[in-house]
Amino acid sequence: MKEGKMIAMLLAGGQGSRLKLLTKDVAKPAVPFGGKYRIIDFPLSNCSNSGIFDVGILTQYKPYHLNSHIGIGSSWDLDRRTGGVRVLPPYTNEQGGRWYKGTANAIYENISFIDELSPEFVLILSGDHIYKMDYSIMLEYHRNKKADVTISVVEVPWEEASRFGLMHVNPDMSVIEFEEKPKKPKSNLASMGIYIFDWKALRRYLIADEKDPNSGNDFGHDIIPKMMNDGKKLFAYQFEGYWKDVGTIKSYWESNMDLLADSNTLDLYDRNWKIYSKNRHLPPHYVSKDASVVNSLINEGCRIEGSLYNTVLFNEIMVGKNAQVVNSVVLSGAVIEEGAEVYNAVVMEDVVIKAGTKIGTKDDTVVYLVSKNKIIES
Amino acid sequence: MKNCLGIINLSEIDNNFGVLCQSRPTSMLPFAGRYRVIDFILSNIVNSGITGIGIFTGNKVRSVMDHLGSGRPWDLDRKINGLFLFTPTYDYTSTYKRVGDLDLFYQNNSFIKYAKQENLFLAKSYMVANIDLNEAYEKFVESDSDICMIYKPVEDTDHAFIGCDMIHLDSQGNFDSIGTNLGKNRAFNLSLEMYFMKKEVYFDILFDAIEKGSANFLKQALFNTLHKYKVTTHAFDGHVSCINNIKNYTDANFAILDSEVSNDLFFKNGQIFTKVKDEPSTYYKSHAKVKNSFVANGCQIDGYVENSIIFRGVKIDKGAIIKNSIIMQKADIQRNAHLNHVILDKRATINAGVTLIGEPNNPYIAGKKASIVKEVV
Repeated sequence: MKEGKMIAMLLAGGQGSRLKLLTKDVAKPAVPFGGKYRIIDFPLSNCSNSGIFDVGILTQYKPYHLNSHIGIGSSWDLDRRTGGVRVLPPYTNEQGGRWYKGTANAIYENISFIDELSPEFVLILSGDHIYKMDYSIMLEYHRNKKADVTISVVEVPWEEASRFGLMHVNPDMSVIEFEEKPKKPKSNLASMGIYIFDWKALRRYLIADEKDPNSGNDFGHDIIPKMMNDGKKLFAYQFEGYWKDVGTIKSYWESNMDLLADSNTLDLYDRNWKIYSKNRHLPPHYVSKDASVVNSLINEGCRIEGSLYNTVLFNEIMVGKNAQVVNSVVLSGAVIEEGAEVYNAVVMEDVVIKAGTKIGTKDDTVVYLVSKNKIIES
Repeated sequence: MKNCLGIINLSEIDNNFGVLCQSRPTSMLPFAGRYRVIDFILSNIVNSGITGIGIFTGNKVRSVMDHLGSGRPWDLDRKINGLFLFTPTYDYTSTYKRVGDLDLFYQNNSFIKYAKQENLFLAKSYMVANIDLNEAYEKFVESDSDICMIYKPVEDTDHAFIGCDMIHLDSQGNFDSIGTNLGKNRAFNLSLEMYFMKKEVYFDILFDAIEKGSANFLKQALFNTLHKYKVTTHAFDGHVSCINNIKNYTDANFAILDSEVSNDLFFKNGQIFTKVKDEPSTYYKSHAKVKNSFVANGCQIDGYVENSIIFRGVKIDKGAIIKNSIIMQKADIQRNAHLNHVILDKRATINAGVTLIGEPNNPYIAGKKASIVKEVV
């Protein structure tokens, strides 16, 4: 692995403002997902499963929970004697302090960090997506194509295509055109925000980009188009499998519900590609004689005496007798008291739903985000 | 606690467990859905603030090493103190009998001798409880005792503690003597075989017994010479299970279905730590029906489960029925299989349609990686 080393730079500074209260205290990558994970566990587990052991994590927005979750990276086997995980916050120098201005600027500010690792390739990841992917296969593709940049793309339904950054490609997958959220899409291959760059080339572009006062310092808007204009070799790498951007409350709720569907393609039980997370050392969950649990995920430390249907429970949740939780996601530490009914909801951490309370109805099409003080419809 | 070194002695009775202890000692028996028996004493010691722990592994070393590893789950992968493992060794030069555990303690003497701590905490693993050891330690230090023994006053109505050590106190409540419980009295003081001891007293007892040839086991040596020392006791009032035979092991597992017991055992005086498996949450499918059961992570359940303990990564297919059973890690129970009063060891496969029925006091036990195809009644 010495030859042609690839390191990963994981952009984890985003707020994810459309997730509203879910990101009130944490950055989007630290938002809980799938009963026991945080979103960032997916790219981090993908890294260690792909054999990438140098991972820089760029943080900026409310990093406390994210930092304590990452720790020294031992959960993902990324606590290494050489390499391993490094958290890279914005810093000050002789010219004063600055925040990361954009995705490309965040990497620019850490050029010296990357130089020290002297990789041949740099993998840019974002901490916002749920998917399982072997980056080593993408690297092989990148090398075979002798590309300067490889952009991972996924097929999305045509009717949704205009929500994404789209890649218009030749039959050999070389990129003709990149369009950010076009009204009339020419392609339905959406960029996943995953790039492999040759470090030498990227380094030059980052420095040039920084000098350009009109640049937004963003990979999608600035770096990629500039490289295209210069005739660099850009290739799209088509990913097949589950991929979801959990951008809004609704899509957050949906992607959790996806795990319960028969058609679910995100196999969390695959022992060859485990998703790792920080462990809390809790006892197994208990299901009482009066409980009913159907088509649901339950994590450790829960105590279930009521009924659950199509629901994802995180850890240490109490569900009282005759309580009903349907089509919902309940985050850790919440209590659903006796007789309470919860439909189509995302219940946040440590929220207590008092006995007899009703949230939503069976046939709701909206999703309720339930926090300690208020309920937001979405 | 900084001045105290923990010692766990795993040379315990493991011939009462049939096939379950064929390749593992008692301390490594899977317990309560995701733990091993040893996790409880080990977590108690760590939670008390002791940071240096020596473990005498006994003979079935592989299982012990596999579980403990570097000690990381217990925060024992330390530069200062941490986890030390002592395996049996072969030594031609011994001039005394190689029976019992005394000789092993002596061989590894330097670990205890050169440790900076002046006090020892000695324990075995088979008494499962969640104890705050600081209470007993304070008593031990304040009273300047040579030895402090932890016991629990029990009402042993179903003779679960036959053969265990019993402690007798005098009318003032001071230590009087220690012996073996034969079941004559229902109510007695059960010794948890957990002792705080001054290091110099430990050496005194060890060397004396070897030189005189008066004992083979450390416990024996200790009991022989108790009259010479200042012995105090500390009463513990939480839940205790004694894992010394299959009946007690089964009862101890099912005891956690009682919420008082599970709260006591899992939360009361600190968390219980174990080796991490990174299993996802448990998935209850559309035909799942689970009643009064403890279920660990990583399971995929589509069948019926009642009054049972389900360990990590178990698969239960549609139509399968499991009652009053202990199903260990990664068992695969296929369609329409029917289990009642069964203990399945790790990675057992029960093929479609198989029926296994044990008795409440005599469960059907399938060994590790067993694959059961035809019907056994």
